[in-house]
Amino acid sequence: MARYLALRIAQSLLTVFLIVSTVFVLVRLAPGDPAAAVGGPLATTEDLQAIREEMGLVDSVPQQYWHFITGLLQGDLGMSYSFREPALDVVLERLPYTITLAGAAILLTALVAIPLGVFTARRANTGWDLGANVGTIAGQSMPEFWTGIMLLTLLAVVVPIFPASGFTTWSGLVLPAVTIALLQVALISRLVHREMAANLAAPYVTVARSRGSAERALTWRYAFANSSIPVLTALGTRFASMLNGVVVVEVVFAWPGIGSLVVRALETRDYPLIQATVLVTSLLAIGVQLLVDLLYPLLDPRVRVGKAVSR
Amino acid sequence: MDGSGRSRRGMSRRDLLRAGFATSAGLALGPVLAACAGPTGTSGAGTLTLALNRSLVSLDNKLNQFDAHVTVQRAVRQALTRIGDGLRPEPVLAESFELASPTAWRVRLRPEAVYSDGTPVTVADVATALEMYQQVEASFVGNQFPEWPQVEQVDDQTFDLVTQRPLVGLDALMSNILISPAAANLPEELSDGVGSGPYLVTEANRGTGDYTLRANPDYWGPAPGVERVSIRFLPEETSRVLALRSGEVDVIDSISPDSAEQLDGLPGMNLLQAQGTRLVQLFYNFRKPPEHPLSRPAVRRALSLAIDGPSIVRDVLLDSVTPTDGVVPLSLDGAYEVGSFEFDPRRARQMLDAEGVDDLELTIIWESGEFASDAYVMEAVAQMLGDIGVRAHLRQFEPGGDLPTWRQGRGGDFDIIGNGYGNQTGLALTSLQGLFAGTPEMEATGDAFMGFVYDDIAGGITAAAAETDDERRAVLLEDVQRSIWDLWPAMWAFTQDVLLAHRDTVSGLDLLPINSYDLAAVRLEEG
Repeated sequence: MARYLALRIAQSLLTVFLIVSTVFVLVRLAPGDPAAAVGGPLATTEDLQAIREEMGLVDSVPQQYWHFITGLLQGDLGMSYSFREPALDVVLERLPYTITLAGAAILLTALVAIPLGVFTARRANTGWDLGANVGTIAGQSMPEFWTGIMLLTLLAVVVPIFPASGFTTWSGLVLPAVTIALLQVALISRLVHREMAANLAAPYVTVARSRGSAERALTWRYAFANSSIPVLTALGTRFASMLNGVVVVEVVFAWPGIGSLVVRALETRDYPLIQATVLVTSLLAIGVQLLVDLLYPLLDPRVRVGKAVSR
Repeated sequence: MDGSGRSRRGMSRRDLLRAGFATSAGLALGPVLAACAGPTGTSGAGTLTLALNRSLVSLDNKLNQFDAHVTVQRAVRQALTRIGDGLRPEPVLAESFELASPTAWRVRLRPEAVYSDGTPVTVADVATALEMYQQVEASFVGNQFPEWPQVEQVDDQTFDLVTQRPLVGLDALMSNILISPAAANLPEELSDGVGSGPYLVTEANRGTGDYTLRANPDYWGPAPGVERVSIRFLPEETSRVLALRSGEVDVIDSISPDSAEQLDGLPGMNLLQAQGTRLVQLFYNFRKPPEHPLSRPAVRRALSLAIDGPSIVRDVLLDSVTPTDGVVPLSLDGAYEVGSFEFDPRRARQMLDAEGVDDLELTIIWESGEFASDAYVMEAVAQMLGDIGVRAHLRQFEPGGDLPTWRQGRGGDFDIIGNGYGNQTGLALTSLQGLFAGTPEMEATGDAFMGFVYDDIAGGITAAAAETDDERRAVLLEDVQRSIWDLWPAMWAFTQDVLLAHRDTVSGLDLLPINSYDLAAVRLEEG
């Protein structure tokens, strides 16, 4: 276990290193000039050159990369051009907001999608199944931007029970979390439905039923237990991607998280901020994936960490 | 074996699932229950909430000064003057600000002006502020000063601002220099410290762009009308409009014509519109080689005749702009009506034929969001040019630093650029200097605006800037604007109106053409 963990952490660090290195190069290949973004519309050529020197952008890309890596090893990701603060501090300040939103959205998703998927799998080819199918397809088809605006209009303007933007009270979490969860519920419930349908039709369930096991036990102790690994994997993957910033939802609801920060960093070509954001979110995403992997043995005793499943 | 296995792990799969569901239920329902019990996002009675479209990174303006921020910045920190009604400078920290000689302005500070900590505003504070603004690289404000004035103290309350050359409009330029205590001022954007304005900062979050201001109990002037002001950053315009409609915010500014149309007529909503100072031009590229058709004023003028400006203003821009009958916005002090854009496609074709121009192809570039409905306007322009046989290729680029590259001629070849040029001083001279006073020296580094370099024009603008006699300066300004117009620097131009929406519980809001208002004058009635 310890060896497996050490190996996974080493792999993760290598992955993060490759990600931040790739991003370092890509942002510099993209069009746009950070000095011009900082200097504004009236900056002269002389001003822009002075800003580039101050930012270290006059050095060659390998030199800049060397400065970045040496800074990274000391926990220094540079100063954000637009905030004039250490880029890492800016990201860490926003991170709790994104974790809160992603956490609420994924929990809401799990809470709705799993029972819904199980329910429709138990009632396959009925009106309930058809209705849920239509609902989930609709959920998948609605862009988050549109859903967010509709929810805002309905629940913040027409019936003003929730705030329209920001995170000034806990109630501000509801609409953005529901907006994200609507799409995720559609995706995860279909996955649960598919897995459950396959397991409910499996011979071991038929045998258990013939031996007099209750339907409740068949559903949850047999079929769902065997469906839980792909569902947990999907939830983990979705959660990890949300930690990278739920850009559209954060912008629509003025949620002060990583997503809206990334938009701003890209608009202003704020290289240190982009790099810090990528580093932090990739570390988190990989951490979540590792956690999911470590949970597998708890869900399925056949799984041993670092070993293949024995059947 | 099963039993031993379970006891070794300590948690069964069923336990795990139950715990997972219980936690999910608690965490997911918790906020909902809290929401039902707690308040919504409204800021509460006695609080005025403003939603800005750009994040207020600081309450200082040394590096950036977006017009929507000016209102808030000046509620905390003040300048010697401010731009007031009619775009004329009005004294704030200065009791008087008068031209004493062609190269010296005499300023007397208000004896009652103090910072929020009770210390007085001094001459040394003004001198230090000017030094700090000079030391900041690429200061937005700094580039508007043709020359930095020197402070020469006369007595405790009086000083002269001395320049090498006459600098008319220094009283307007000084409206952008915010004064802070000398000991606390730095050559960077100040994120804390005290100001002399009617409000104090009680909470600030640069990351989210949210600030809370409270009325300064020791303010030296009339007490502000609202006790508490909450400033929020809502980047998405639809969200700002919905936040206003929900009552969560009281004022949203810099709104688009589409949003204004949505809000117009809704109960409880008020719209304010004023002619702005930001000139949007379809400016020709003056770096074309002499043999290129666009190097000839007659061709440039002919292309202008193809543009049906009134239709674009009415149908595309929904009357949210003012056609410009001159080379700078007519709302500016010193601007003159020196010509107007006409629509006459038949004459346009005749003029192009007379110039021997046919099969002309133009590349029109612009930055996304440079002005309202930018893409629709450009598509209309391309179609109108097509009607006179000119093929236009549209090229849009994303915001983020490319614009100066194109302006400086380093981005590649193009023929026309759609570009907005703001003005925070209220002076026509500031815009004339920035747009049309290019010299060969400036062009050597690409700093002449779009390569516009005409010695007689630059000389005329410099002469007007140095003329201290109002009547003679007026003549010089009109002459130079007429000369610029005759060169047809732009295919079409308009001045973008400033639009603001507020709830009808807000009063005393007097929107200025520089897209700002006096926050201390705003009143809030309980809705």
